[in-house]
Amino acid sequence: MSELKTKLVLLLGVALSVVVLYGFLYLEREWEIGVLLVMVPLGVYFLKRANALTYYQHAAREMPRFTWISFALGVVVLIMLLRHEDFALLMLTTVLLYATVSLGLTIQFGFAGVVNFAAIAFFGIGAYSMAILNQHFLHIPDLLIIFFSGAISALLGALLILPILRTRGHYAALITIAFGILFRTFLEVNDVLGGPQGLRVSGLEIFGWDFGNSFPNELGGGSFYVAYAIVALVLLATVYLITRLIEASWLGLNMDSVRLDEVASASFGINGPRWKITAFMLGNCFAGFAGAVYAAMYGFIAPASFNLSDSLLLVSIVLLGGIGNPVAVIPAAFLIVVLPEKFQVIQEYRLLLFGIVVILILRFRPSGLMPRGLRQYFAGRFG
Amino acid sequence: MCKAQRWSCFWILSFLCLFFSGCGEDSETVKITFIGPLTGGVSAGGLGGRNSADLAISLRNQAPDTKYKYELVSLDDECKPNIGVQVATKAAANKDIVAGVTHYCSAVAMGTVDVYHKFNLPVIVWGAVLPDITYGNDYLEIHRINGTMINQNTVAAEFMRSQNFSKWAVIHDTTDYGKGHFKYFQSALSKSEGTILATFGVNPDQQDFTAELTKIKALNPEVIYFGGLAPTGVRIRAQMDKLGMTQVFQGTSGIVSDAFIDGVGGLAEGVLAFREGAPTEKLPGGKMFMEAYEARNFNEPAEAYGAFAFAATNLIIDVIEQVGPDRMLIRDELNATQGHQSIVGPVTFDDHGQNTIAVITKYVVQDGEWVVWEDSEYASGKRFLK
Repeated sequence: MSELKTKLVLLLGVALSVVVLYGFLYLEREWEIGVLLVMVPLGVYFLKRANALTYYQHAAREMPRFTWISFALGVVVLIMLLRHEDFALLMLTTVLLYATVSLGLTIQFGFAGVVNFAAIAFFGIGAYSMAILNQHFLHIPDLLIIFFSGAISALLGALLILPILRTRGHYAALITIAFGILFRTFLEVNDVLGGPQGLRVSGLEIFGWDFGNSFPNELGGGSFYVAYAIVALVLLATVYLITRLIEASWLGLNMDSVRLDEVASASFGINGPRWKITAFMLGNCFAGFAGAVYAAMYGFIAPASFNLSDSLLLVSIVLLGGIGNPVAVIPAAFLIVVLPEKFQVIQEYRLLLFGIVVILILRFRPSGLMPRGLRQYFAGRFG
Repeated sequence: MCKAQRWSCFWILSFLCLFFSGCGEDSETVKITFIGPLTGGVSAGGLGGRNSADLAISLRNQAPDTKYKYELVSLDDECKPNIGVQVATKAAANKDIVAGVTHYCSAVAMGTVDVYHKFNLPVIVWGAVLPDITYGNDYLEIHRINGTMINQNTVAAEFMRSQNFSKWAVIHDTTDYGKGHFKYFQSALSKSEGTILATFGVNPDQQDFTAELTKIKALNPEVIYFGGLAPTGVRIRAQMDKLGMTQVFQGTSGIVSDAFIDGVGGLAEGVLAFREGAPTEKLPGGKMFMEAYEARNFNEPAEAYGAFAFAATNLIIDVIEQVGPDRMLIRDELNATQGHQSIVGPVTFDDHGQNTIAVITKYVVQDGEWVVWEDSEYASGKRFLK
């Protein structure tokens, strides 16, 4: 396949995805959503029958860097198309942030095999760090605060890793669930952190640009959410790149071997706990970053936003996408965040229908929408 | 490959068709949004409110002399602040929506007031009772038709003292709702020399209250005050019975719902609660509301706050009829509301948009129904609170 042709195929794929995403985010009326919901699975089915998906996969494997850069640019185009649609941008940014957290979970679950049912707690720690630091330390630049929020999440997670390392399987899962509940209860009884009423968070200001205002007119004008969407996109791209590099490198290889057989890898001199700790802290750090941006964008956080059910939602993003595949979390996050929202028209029945959709997908694709492929030892740079 | 290309072309074209078809907008109708919890533990209250708002809209649309056709856009906030901000943004960013009847849960309303202010969407809160929603900010967009928990607890404390109760034990949930109620009840009680023997903050999701109740039983108070919503209240009342506790159970507006009585059955007898607003069925328009609600055959009862949602929707429609569907004009006209007649009594907004004429009604459960205290057999001396 010639280089030009490969690039064309990749660009066509990006264009098609942007159109579908735009449709889902922009369209509001029942029949439009209904038509989309029928057309997209049908479209995917026919593309698959026509071998277009495999064709695209080959192309993506051939030029991994071109693929992800073109996708990132595709999302920029999408943001620009939606720049006057406040709500669509809010949803899109939420998707990007949830995907960031899910990448953290991918490193934990998918690479090193550490369970974490408290992802939303680390997300919440990031959010609360943002709220507190932004309020009391005005001279710290906001970019640095986002970074600190991630670091604080990772550090608090380091406390939790000790009991996790000493337990196995279900017990380790229970410890993380307990931590999630503990986190919420702690916030509710702690009046310094706003108590059950929650905290107001001021918006971001990066390089003197106040994100509370609408997007500058020189760049086309638009909602103030445009800026947040771009920050979230940059964050996701960075985190994605890190995840990909880890996966391709000896770090990922070590984590994989610890997950598959801890005893065997220990006998080859691989230090299991070290890789588990690394994966756990890194994943929580990602969650903290996302939480910080989330808090600044929503402008208000309360303990009730960080429930166990939200942790399960994040886990279901990873399961739905395909455990261990960093690319998969992005469409999965989109489905999980946007679908219930689009079902608003059927009101109280929407969560029921949403549950059915998830069950159907897992029934017919038990290893997720995009299962993780075999490790490629001699592929392109990020393959 | 050729086949693949054909298919991609087909799908791209179909999508393009969709976009162009989505461009035409009809502007005849005026849209009003309703936001409340339609799913989750407190959905009974939210669905009742949604139906009532819907009823107000459809009654208006049937009336011959209305200038506009109205449409209700109802959204589900799940009683979670983050979802609340999401749907509030959705409603506020939609230029077709000119006003809102929003929120049953206080925590959600606290999070969304900033959104409404940012997008200049005038709203009337129909159920959330935390004082800070209106008094914690200077936003012109925020109004509230129901009273706050301050009024509710002042009346509650005075009434209970007048019934010669003097010792309380308190269980409240740790949300702002429960905590707030406890705070204002405590301060109201301290003025009238009642004592609180013990206080327990519980998680609203908590299932087993044996530990708390056993401790309370040992202290032997006369009344158990519960600050929280119906699902938790049902569990506590049922478990009190298991432990053989016969104290009077005093609740807050959150348990004044049929869901509470359905949940505890016969044990509900003699449970007290307080709610803002005049009793719906006693006002001239209230009877009409109840009848119209019956006539529509909704699947869910109107619940305690349905009348407020109905009155808020009506108030908004009245204002739109007067000044036209423009957010700014509606906002200013709402702020100037004085003595507007509604099915929950006259409405007057103060400079924070709070309805100042807050009548508090005392309720007691008698034979499986919430009865206004003054009409009950308890008040006439036929039955006694244990």
